[in-house]
Amino acid sequence: MRVSRSLIASMAVTGLLAVGITACGSSGSKSSSGGGSSSQSSSQGSSNGVQSIPLKAGENPVGQTLTGSTKKRGGTLTVYSSEDFEHLDPGESYFTQDYGVDYVTQRPLFSYMPNTSQTVSPDLATEIPTTANGGITDGGKTLTVHIRQGVHFSPPVNREVTSADVAYAIERAANPNVANPYFAGYFGAGAPAPLVGAQSANYKGGPIPGIQTPNKFTIVFHTVKPSGSFLVSALSLPISAPVPQSFAGPMDKKSPTTYGTKYLVATGPYMIKSDPKTGLFQGIGYQTGKSLNLVRNPNWNPKTDFRPAYLNAINFSIGGDSTVIGRQVLQGSDAVQFDTPAQSVVKLAYENYPSQITFTQGSGDHYVALDNASGVFKNVNLRRAVWANLDRAAIIKLRGGSLTGQPATHFIYPGVTGYEQAGGAAGPQVPWNKSVTGNLQVAETYMKAAGFKSGKYTGSATVQIVGANNGNDPAIIQLLNSDMTQLGFHTHVSLVDQSVMYAKYCGVPKQEIDACPTVGWVRDFADPLTVLYIPFYGPAITPTNNSNWGQVNDPAINSAMQKAALVTDPTARAQAWANVDKMLVNQAVAIPEDFDNQANVESKDVDGVNELWNTGTWDLDFTSLKNP
Amino acid sequence: MATYIVRRILWGIALLILVSAITFVFFNVFPSADPAQLRAGRNASPQIIAYIRHELGLDKSLPVQFWVYMKNIFLHFNFGYSFYTGASVLSLITNRLPATLSLAVGAAVIWLAMGIPVGILSAVRSGSFLDRTAMGIALVFVSMPVFWLGLVVLFLFADDIGRFHVFPGANTYVGLTVSPWHWFTSLIMPWFVLAATSAAVYSRVLRGSLIEAMGEDYIRTARAKGLRERRVIFRHGVRSAITPVVTIFGLDLGALLGGAVITETVFNIPGIGRLNLDAINHSDFPIVQGTVILATLFIVVANIVVDIAYAYLDPRVRYS
Repeated sequence: MRVSRSLIASMAVTGLLAVGITACGSSGSKSSSGGGSSSQSSSQGSSNGVQSIPLKAGENPVGQTLTGSTKKRGGTLTVYSSEDFEHLDPGESYFTQDYGVDYVTQRPLFSYMPNTSQTVSPDLATEIPTTANGGITDGGKTLTVHIRQGVHFSPPVNREVTSADVAYAIERAANPNVANPYFAGYFGAGAPAPLVGAQSANYKGGPIPGIQTPNKFTIVFHTVKPSGSFLVSALSLPISAPVPQSFAGPMDKKSPTTYGTKYLVATGPYMIKSDPKTGLFQGIGYQTGKSLNLVRNPNWNPKTDFRPAYLNAINFSIGGDSTVIGRQVLQGSDAVQFDTPAQSVVKLAYENYPSQITFTQGSGDHYVALDNASGVFKNVNLRRAVWANLDRAAIIKLRGGSLTGQPATHFIYPGVTGYEQAGGAAGPQVPWNKSVTGNLQVAETYMKAAGFKSGKYTGSATVQIVGANNGNDPAIIQLLNSDMTQLGFHTHVSLVDQSVMYAKYCGVPKQEIDACPTVGWVRDFADPLTVLYIPFYGPAITPTNNSNWGQVNDPAINSAMQKAALVTDPTARAQAWANVDKMLVNQAVAIPEDFDNQANVESKDVDGVNELWNTGTWDLDFTSLKNP
Repeated sequence: MATYIVRRILWGIALLILVSAITFVFFNVFPSADPAQLRAGRNASPQIIAYIRHELGLDKSLPVQFWVYMKNIFLHFNFGYSFYTGASVLSLITNRLPATLSLAVGAAVIWLAMGIPVGILSAVRSGSFLDRTAMGIALVFVSMPVFWLGLVVLFLFADDIGRFHVFPGANTYVGLTVSPWHWFTSLIMPWFVLAATSAAVYSRVLRGSLIEAMGEDYIRTARAKGLRERRVIFRHGVRSAITPVVTIFGLDLGALLGGAVITETVFNIPGIGRLNLDAINHSDFPIVQGTVILATLFIVVANIVVDIAYAYLDPRVRYS
C-alpha cells in the first residue's frame, strides 16, 4: 500500500521501522541479496528466535555484477550525503565516507575488490607477498613489496610513482601535523609488530629505518616481531597510498598539513577537480560542506589497475536532510546516497522501490562498554547478570528492525574472519548469552553468584551511565537502564552529544563511567585483530582518547591477544582471534548489542555496486549508469 | 541624535567584547572536550596530543590565551582556523555568508510584505470575517514547526520529489552571481517556509498594536481635523503601532543572519547556520566561536538600527 506523502512527512521524524519479513529471499530485489545462493550460511536464519534476512557474510550480493557487457561507460553520477568528509588526505582518513573517495582517487599497496570483505588484492603492488613467492621472509619480520610501473600522479606532479613515495606516505603518518590515527596502533609504538625504528612512542615522523627502498619499484618493510600477512592487510589502509615528498613535504610542515585540505594529487582513476598547475582543490573541486567534484585523472593508466572506472564524473552534494536526500535518490535519476539513509527512507524503499535498495552485512557492531577496572562492574558476575537480562532483540527493533541488523552474541561480527569460529550468529552458548530477549532468572543466578542472595543489587553504589543523545541511542540507553534497575541497580543516566561522550567521558578512564551503552566499532581492515585489539587490549588503554572504553585489562586475554597477533597463517590466525573472542564473552567484558547491516539506496537507472569491505557503501569504481 | 547613535555604537562594541570574552570562557575554560584531543583525532598518543596542544597555544596560561584570542579578533579579524580542515574561520564564514544573506533578506521582504498588510487589514476590519479568517490562518502558521513545514512544502511542491512539480527542490541552491534566475527559483520555497511563521506573528502583533493605537486620542483628533481615513490609519495609526514590529523585526533579522539552521538543513542551503551545525557536530570550536560572534554582531547592529528607526518613527523617543 502506498503511503500518502503528508503521512510520510509526519513520519519523517519518527524512528521506528517495523517491517515484517514476509519471506526470506523474496523477490528479485537486491534486498534479498545472498538469497540466490542455495545454501544459507549457518550463521543466518532464525537462531535465537529472531528472524534474519538471508545475507551471506563476505559474499557477492545477488545481481552485483562487477564487469562485463552489461556495464556501460560514461555519464555523471550524483552522490548525496548529509555528512561532509572529515579527511581527504589518505594519510589522515578513517571515516567510512572518506574511504569511499580515497579508494577511487588513490592507490594503496593493497586494496579490496568490492565483493569481498576478507580477501585483499594487490593494487599498487604487483602481487600479494607470501612466504611461497618470497615476499615474506625472515620468519615473517620482512615484507618485500614490488610496485607496479607505469602508475603516475595526477597533475601537477605527473611523474611516475616510486617506492620512495610509498615510504614517505607511511613516514608522514606519524607527523603530528598529519596525525594518522592508525600509525601507532598498526605500525608504531602500539603495534603488535612495529616497524623497526618506529617502535618508540616519541617517534614523530621522518625516515623509518625499517622501511627501505632498494630500487624505484621495491619497498621492504622490517618489523620488530613477525607480522607476515597482518602487515599486508594493514597496508591496505589508505596510509600506504603514495605521496610525493617534494610536493607534500612543505605542506606537512604546517599544522595541520595543507596536503589533503587544500592540495592533493591522485593516483587512482579519479581525482578531485583542481588547478592543474598547483593541485589546489579547495574552492575548485571541493567546497567544504557543499560539494565535491571528482573527474577522471588524466594520468591514470587503466592497464595497471583492476578498477573499471565506468563513470566520467562523480559529483557529491553534501548536506541536507536525510529523508529528503533519500527520496531524491529513489525518485530521481543517476544518483546514490552515500551515508546511511533515514529509517523512513529505508521503509519507503523496501516497500515501494525494492530494486533500489541493498542491505549489506558486516558494517560493524555496537556494544555496552562496562567499566571492568572500577565500580560495580569490576565484578564479572554482575557483568554477566546485566548481559543475561538485556533484551538485545528489542535493541534491534529500536534500531529499525531486522533489516538493520541482528542481535550480537560476541564481538567479531559477520564478514570478519573468525566470526564463524567464534560461534557465528548463535555465539558461545554460555548461560548469559543464550537468550537474546533477556532472561531474568539467569541474571538473578549471577547476581547471587556475585554475593547478592536476593538476586537483586543491594549495594549503595550508583551506576553512572553516559550515552549519546543522537538518533535511537536514548531509547537504547533507556532499555539498558530498565535492565539494570530491574536487577536493583541505582542508575544515573547522562545523555550528551556523541563526540562529547567519547572525548570527555567514555574515552577518559579517570572519569570511571560504569556503562557506555552505545559505543560501536567498525574494523579498520580485514583482520580480526582490528575488531578486538584496540577495544579490549589492556596495554592499549590511554589516559585520553581511549578506545578501550571498558578498560579491559585481563592478563589472560592480553596474553592471548599478543600470541594471536603474531600468528601468520590465516586459518590459524582466525581461530586464534576467535578464541580471544570467546574469552571476551566468557569474561563478559562488554555486552554485544547488534551486528549492523548497512542499507544503501540508488536511483532506478544506477547499476550500483557495494563494497562489502567498507560497510557496504557504494563502490564508485565499479558503479555505473544504466543509460549514461 | 548623532550623540545617541555614537553612544549606541560604543555600547554595541562593548557588548561584542563581552560576548567574545564569554565565548572564550565557554569554549576554552569550560570546553565540552579537549580541543587538542579533538584535533588529534582517533587513537592519538599523549605525545601527539601534547604537541598539538602546544601548536594551538593551548598550553599557555589562560590570560595569555585570552589576550591572543581577543587581539586576533579585534585587531586582525582573525577567528582562528578550523580544527579539521585548517581553513581560516573567517574565509569559511565569508564564503557562506551570501547564502544566509540571500535567505534571510529575501524571507524578511516576504514576511513584511505579507504580515504588515494582513495585520493592517485585520485591525481596520477588526471582528469581521476577513479578520477572523486571517488571524486563524496566522495561528495555524505560527503553530507549524519550520522543520515540518519545510518537509511538507518539499513533499508537495518540489519538482523532483513533490506531488506537484512546481519549484526546484532541496540541493538546488546556486549563488546569485552564478545564475540569478536559478538563485531566485531555488529560494522560493525556503523563503516561504521561513517567512510563513514570521508573517503570521507580525500580522497578529501589528493587528493588536494598531487596534490599540487607533483608540488613542490623537487618532480622534486627526479624524476631527477632517483627515482622510487612509491618512489617519497610515500616517498616524500605523506609524506608532509599528514600533513593536520594528523591534521584533530587528531581533528576527539579526538572529536569522546568524544562520537559519533548520531551513538551511532541510533545503541544503550552504549558509552560516549549516556551517555552525556541522562545526558543533565535529566539536570544531573555532568555527563555533566565529559564528557565535558573528551572530552577536548582527544582533547588535540590528538593535542599533532598530533603536535609530524608533527615534525616527516615534518623536517621543527622539525628544527623550
